[in-house]
Amino acid sequence: MAPKKIEPKKPEPKKPEPKVSPASKMALSSELLSEHPKEPDFDPKSITLEFTADQIEEFKEAFNLFDRTPKGEMKISYAQCGDVMRALGQNPTNADVLKVLGKPRPEEMSSKMVDFETFLPMLQHISRAKDQGNYEDFVEGLRVFDKEGNGTIMGAELRHVLATLGERMTEDEVDRLMAGQEDANGCINYASFVKHILSG
Amino acid sequence: MGCGVTKSNQFQRHAVKAIRAAVLIQQWYRQYVARMEMRRRYTWHIFQSIEYSGEQAQIKLYNFLGYLMDNFTPASDERNLISHIFRENEVCHDAEWERYFCYKNIEVPEIYSGPRLRFPLTAEQAVCLLEAFRNKKQLHSRYVLQLLLETWKLLRMLPNISRISTCHSKEITVCGDLHGQLEDLLLIFYKNGTPSLEKPYVFNGDFVDRGKDSMEILLILFAFLLVYPTEVHLNRGNHEDHLINLRYGFTKEVLSKYKMHGKRILKLLQKIFSWLPLAAVIDQKVLVLHGGISDSTDLGVLAKADRRAYVSALRPPKKKRRQRSSAGTSVDSDADDDWANRRLLRRRASLVFPKPAVSRDGFLNRSLRDFSDRIELGAEDEAERLGSFGAEREARASLDSLGSDGAKEEWKQILDLLWSDPMSQDGCIPNELRGGGCYWGPDVTRDFLSKHNMQLIVRSHECKQDGYEFCHDRKVLTLFSASNYYDVGSNRGAYVKLGPDLVPYVVQYQASSMTRELTAQQSVGQTERSALKVLREQLFSHKSDLIWAFKAFDSHNTGLISVTDWATAVEGVMRLGLPWRMLRSQLVGGKSGDGLIDYRQWFDQLAIKGANADHIDQSLLETLYRHRSTLETIFRIVDTNNSGFISPSDFRQTWKLLSVYLKMEITDEAISELTVAIDSNRDGAIDIDEFMEAFRLTDKKSRLERGRSMFMATAPDLSALDPDEHV
Repeated sequence: MAPKKIEPKKPEPKKPEPKVSPASKMALSSELLSEHPKEPDFDPKSITLEFTADQIEEFKEAFNLFDRTPKGEMKISYAQCGDVMRALGQNPTNADVLKVLGKPRPEEMSSKMVDFETFLPMLQHISRAKDQGNYEDFVEGLRVFDKEGNGTIMGAELRHVLATLGERMTEDEVDRLMAGQEDANGCINYASFVKHILSG
Repeated sequence: MGCGVTKSNQFQRHAVKAIRAAVLIQQWYRQYVARMEMRRRYTWHIFQSIEYSGEQAQIKLYNFLGYLMDNFTPASDERNLISHIFRENEVCHDAEWERYFCYKNIEVPEIYSGPRLRFPLTAEQAVCLLEAFRNKKQLHSRYVLQLLLETWKLLRMLPNISRISTCHSKEITVCGDLHGQLEDLLLIFYKNGTPSLEKPYVFNGDFVDRGKDSMEILLILFAFLLVYPTEVHLNRGNHEDHLINLRYGFTKEVLSKYKMHGKRILKLLQKIFSWLPLAAVIDQKVLVLHGGISDSTDLGVLAKADRRAYVSALRPPKKKRRQRSSAGTSVDSDADDDWANRRLLRRRASLVFPKPAVSRDGFLNRSLRDFSDRIELGAEDEAERLGSFGAEREARASLDSLGSDGAKEEWKQILDLLWSDPMSQDGCIPNELRGGGCYWGPDVTRDFLSKHNMQLIVRSHECKQDGYEFCHDRKVLTLFSASNYYDVGSNRGAYVKLGPDLVPYVVQYQASSMTRELTAQQSVGQTERSALKVLREQLFSHKSDLIWAFKAFDSHNTGLISVTDWATAVEGVMRLGLPWRMLRSQLVGGKSGDGLIDYRQWFDQLAIKGANADHIDQSLLETLYRHRSTLETIFRIVDTNNSGFISPSDFRQTWKLLSVYLKMEITDEAISELTVAIDSNRDGAIDIDEFMEAFRLTDKKSRLERGRSMFMATAPDLSALDPDEHV
């Protein structure tokens, strides 16, 4: 029997009444993603850059690889920012990225551009984030779905989770992620799964 | 109730954990995808820049040889070596040509198990041919010649620009570059059906070179063309050009498959290539051509050009008797009684323009002027010969012989059509990367389409990862039909279908069963390794220049250099525009503790090894390695009867030629050492293939090949993970 009211861990204004239902899970998930309470909006001017000259040159190369502007203007779209940061070894969630971009509207993502100077403080901020999640966290996270505690998880369950919870993935993305990972019984050995992801 | 609350709390905790876990996995996945994308991009970049710089090298070589022709006395050895490629055809009249190409006296032995063709060809025979090639059979040279002759006769009747219509509900299929990859053509026919009355096709050039079945592709395309002349349309590509074929493998393929009649076949193909139509227009709205356009492209000019005069797009058109470029009334005769004089003037015409080097015209012969300091004209009579002419008079004479500005303009338009690439900036600039044609922008597309009242340009010429790519606001479609072009898994191929609504419907595919079994990660990894291997070879072959550049940064001669300096030096020498820092860990074995690179050690890791190479001077080997493509091309040019062998004295001359081209000194002793290194059979004649094979680059440290992705360093504590053998 489901009680009617559940106190969430970190109360936020305008939250819908939490229930134990998919809707509640979604609400929880959006809450989890903005887990740092009362953080101010991102202010690029407040960031001091600590990158070395060498590092900056390397970032420029990555930036250029993604630059598709007509005259090679060293600009990328908002939508590409997350990818470039990840390609440079950072591990932000989509919510993290949207935050440093100043919470743009969806339609702005492909039209608004970021130049290299604007990008650097964003990258710096992201690189300072505390919980990027490491190998152990990752394995722990997967262990949650290991019902029998035997080192395997059901592929079907993982697919469902990835497509419905958190920062949802598309079916296509899930397929690509899981390609070749499930055995004949549809189970995944998550230790090798982790290796697969981390070695990419 | 108490237990209700507990249960819900547990559930709550579990839900929170699950969500956290999901977010983590998704986070890592997105990072993984971004890294893969990065690797894919720079891998692509590597292959493409190396490919295009190869094309550029070919054009440069050609221009250099042309310059030699103009500036050496007729008696000089070097000139004689190469003059035949500029010489007019020895046999002049049509009747003589037919006799030369006659297949009738070629016997087909009983044991021949390939297809036997009877003309006129039927659809069944064309399909039979397809099957035979699928089963790795080879068509006998008798039938090859016969089929080519029939094709030649047909092509001569076709206009420069084919006009096609999608009347009723016919869908037209357009295919891009095939580059000798038979598997892809078979796959296209399998998915889409073979050409027929209901299934018209346009093949957009570059049927040959690079792949190993160029001949078979041509034969299939020509066979279907003969059976369905109104449904099958072939456009010429920049590789349908015997000069390009010398470098990129088609000439070699034909000679090795057809040892007896290969030369004849090549000659006939030369004519056929020049007779291939230049473009196709569908429903007066969609233009299909191989390379692209420029801001001066005019379909009216192209329609009236005498296309068969352009045996190679790199050469100026052949002149007719007493006429300027004719307006399509093709006189079959290639005759030229006073051809000797004309030839000389015509040669100069390609190289010397009356006005000073300005934009595109200047560009055509700009690289040429670079050679003037390399050639010592030496002989006094040489100087006199030139002196008496004077540049002005020469130029005017050549201008006259070329006819008018119109003829020059026409030649440029054909070059642009075959070689240009689109760019995202507005404008139109010379295509320096390829060495021919131009880069054209969206404004040029807009103007062109409105001027000719059209809506779409379909072109090929560039390899695209997905097999196709739209640009210029979806008004230009690039189509590439050779999948796995750079390496297994590097790209898909595509073809496009256009119905009466003229809305392009693209179909993608990827040949080779191997790729289906590879995951995306594995295939990216494989292509990446391939690209890096190629790049390492390129780096090694520029060893001397690189060391010299490194030393400039290493004034105390420590042998160490910072990463920044390393990257700057490498780009300065290689000029490939690649992200060197990102590639560094894959290219250089290890860094010293303080982040410096030991460049001497780096080069020690690579070495050129050859069967008998140890006693040969390293720098000579390096030259050989770096310029082996050019060297091989020159060998094949020098091998006038296409036998695959050259005499020792010609071999020596070739090296002398190369030494002038490269502004390097190559001593006679060094050349002798090279000769000794090769087992020469057959009266001391040197087998070109054997020579080229004898010197190959091998890596001493194969661990570089198995190197991990450079991004692995960013994930923490990876010592626990074993390297994935399949990545």
